[in-house]
Amino acid sequence: MKVYKIIIINALLLWSFSLTAKEYKASLFGAVSDGITLNTGSIQYAIDYISENGGGRLVFYVGRYLTGSIQLKSNVVIELKEGAVLVAAPSIYDYDGPENRNALLWAEKQDSIGVVGKGVIEGQGTLVLESIKTQRKKGYLKENIGSLCPALIYMKGCNSITIEGINLREACGNVQFYNGCTLVSISNITTVSTSVENSQGILLSECDRVNLSDSFFDTSGKELSQAGASKNLSIVNNINKDGKKIR
Amino acid sequence: MINNRLFKLKMMGKPGVTLFAFLLFATIHVSAKDYLVTDFGAKADGITLNTRTIQRAIDYISENGGGRLVFDAGNYVTGTIYLKSNVTLHLKYGATILGSTNPFDYVSDPKIKWVAMIFAVNQNNIGITGRGTINGRGFITANNLVNYIHRGIFKDELKYDRPREWRRPQNVYFRECTNVTITDITLRDPASWNQTYDQCKNLYVDNIYVDSKSYWNNDGIDIVDCDGVVLKNSYFDAADDVLCFKSHDANSICQNVVVENCIGRSSANGLKFGTVSRGGFRNFKIKNITIFDTFRSAITFAAVDGGIIENIEVDSVRSINTGNVIFLRIGDRWSKGKKPSMKNIRISNVYAEVPIGKPDAGYNYEGPVEDNPRNISPASIVGLPDYKIQDVKLKNIEIVYPGAGNPLYAYRGTSPADLDSIPEMPARYPEFSQWKELPAWGFYVRHAEGIEFENVILRAQKKDYRPAIVMDDVKGGSFKEVIFTEPESEGKKQIIQHNTEGVTVY
Repeated sequence: MKVYKIIIINALLLWSFSLTAKEYKASLFGAVSDGITLNTGSIQYAIDYISENGGGRLVFYVGRYLTGSIQLKSNVVIELKEGAVLVAAPSIYDYDGPENRNALLWAEKQDSIGVVGKGVIEGQGTLVLESIKTQRKKGYLKENIGSLCPALIYMKGCNSITIEGINLREACGNVQFYNGCTLVSISNITTVSTSVENSQGILLSECDRVNLSDSFFDTSGKELSQAGASKNLSIVNNINKDGKKIR
Repeated sequence: MINNRLFKLKMMGKPGVTLFAFLLFATIHVSAKDYLVTDFGAKADGITLNTRTIQRAIDYISENGGGRLVFDAGNYVTGTIYLKSNVTLHLKYGATILGSTNPFDYVSDPKIKWVAMIFAVNQNNIGITGRGTINGRGFITANNLVNYIHRGIFKDELKYDRPREWRRPQNVYFRECTNVTITDITLRDPASWNQTYDQCKNLYVDNIYVDSKSYWNNDGIDIVDCDGVVLKNSYFDAADDVLCFKSHDANSICQNVVVENCIGRSSANGLKFGTVSRGGFRNFKIKNITIFDTFRSAITFAAVDGGIIENIEVDSVRSINTGNVIFLRIGDRWSKGKKPSMKNIRISNVYAEVPIGKPDAGYNYEGPVEDNPRNISPASIVGLPDYKIQDVKLKNIEIVYPGAGNPLYAYRGTSPADLDSIPEMPARYPEFSQWKELPAWGFYVRHAEGIEFENVILRAQKKDYRPAIVMDDVKGGSFKEVIFTEPESEGKKQIIQHNTEGVTVY
């Protein structure tokens, strides 16, 4: 009996492991790493497909993948291998997000999602800002600049978020924003966002159980700031460019 | 200039006139306001995907009083966009809207359930104008989609080894729109049908050029259940039916249509009603059309899904090198209890030449060789025993056939038993060739009432074993000045009547 149980448990474990770890290469969905093809459609289709088929990892290998806003869905983790760069589209019109808040990568009410790996998310903040300014000047956009500037990552009402290892660069707005999320784990990330004014590294609002550790921040705004009160925060071993500890 | 004049008017002390003039100017100005798409940041580099930027521009113009979104010369890549009320896309000479070759850049409209590059749903006063081009690049997009299907990440049954029509992007699909203007543009290479206008009111299409033979089902233009249509001065070269009228909705009808001065080539049919024909077709005036190098029939009217076809006038047709000339058919395919009918059809002033070879040879997406063995098929008017085709008048018609029907290759005799053995095939997809060999070389008429031929000349260039005309179950009609020419056939009985009453042959 015991042997059977062990076999069954092992099989279940393996099965669940294979579920969570199923890997999909970005090229399967036609994502192109030339830096000029806008991959929004392919990446979004990939995320939807993986989420609807039991979850897994969408893996980007070396190359520059231009994209506009994409929406993360439950049980999908984006893995950026070393050398892979998600390049944010320069036009403001390629962005959207919940409640008119723009973000390159966003999610609303999703579970078990993340962005991991040693790759880069490049926000092209200067170019996006330029696009916003031009369009406002012409009168085609009315909203103020601050509310238009896309964050790199915006999660609203999500559970179990893993952000690990990645490089986050040059957001037009804030780099990361977590709003009403629980179980947020951010570790070993490097954030450099100085080309646009007041780009905050991480903005937390009404989150619960947030772990931020072993990360580096060089940002034009505050490295870590809080809007609504969050609880159960663990902020360990993070520094800014001057070597100051972040709390 | 105008401002100066307004100023002068004001100085002349006529404030009423000034105000009126100003208001007039203001309204004209608003309706004609031009916006450059590049002003919104669109790039004409043939690489940048402009979908969201173009969409934003359309939304902005629609929300701000309407106007034209102008594309200067250059290549603008886009995925699915939605045209909105009071917006016209104006493509200047040299401007091309290029469809993205990535199928995931397109949207399947939740209501229509088809995919297209330019959608409009429930919008008014919209258009696409100018001498520019819309190029779907559909061959690449369709094949990319095939790859995704084989990889297992996109679901499609790959019927006939191609993705279903509704999963491949069309260039244009407008649904339930009013006051639609399509002028001067060139439309190329969609992955599915080219342009569909579905349940639209007041559709005006003038001077367009359609080159649409990049993939299967590349129709030229599909006008579905529309009311009030003018289609004129246009040229079509298409892999599938070119001037194609359909009726998808059993409770709708395609009606009040004028077609004038159009030229078409097709690997299917020229002027076609159907195949989907649920509601029907009524009140058409079609004048001066030329169909050439066309695989199937120059004119096909199909009432096979319970719809009606009535009050149709076709005047002045040149049909050169087409597989067939006239094919009128009632069938019973998807009727679901509705009764199909066809009546009051007038076709006049037709000159046609039917070849012995394949009329669309050498084109990509050639029509399929099928229904063999058969000698050259005659024109045909074929109803069903319960649903007769009524009141068809053919006047001033000349059709040149190759003749040369060889009974050793394919044979259908004219004995009562032979004629009765021709199957009805009510549910079969309607094609003029569906019966394989037919017993006449010129015209085959079955299950019809009130058939009038006046000044009809049928020429066979070589001797044929069949008579020129066979009638089966025809009630009433007249044949006046019907002339046959066929070599080595003096004294041959050219008209055979079977189960036929009240037909006068003068």
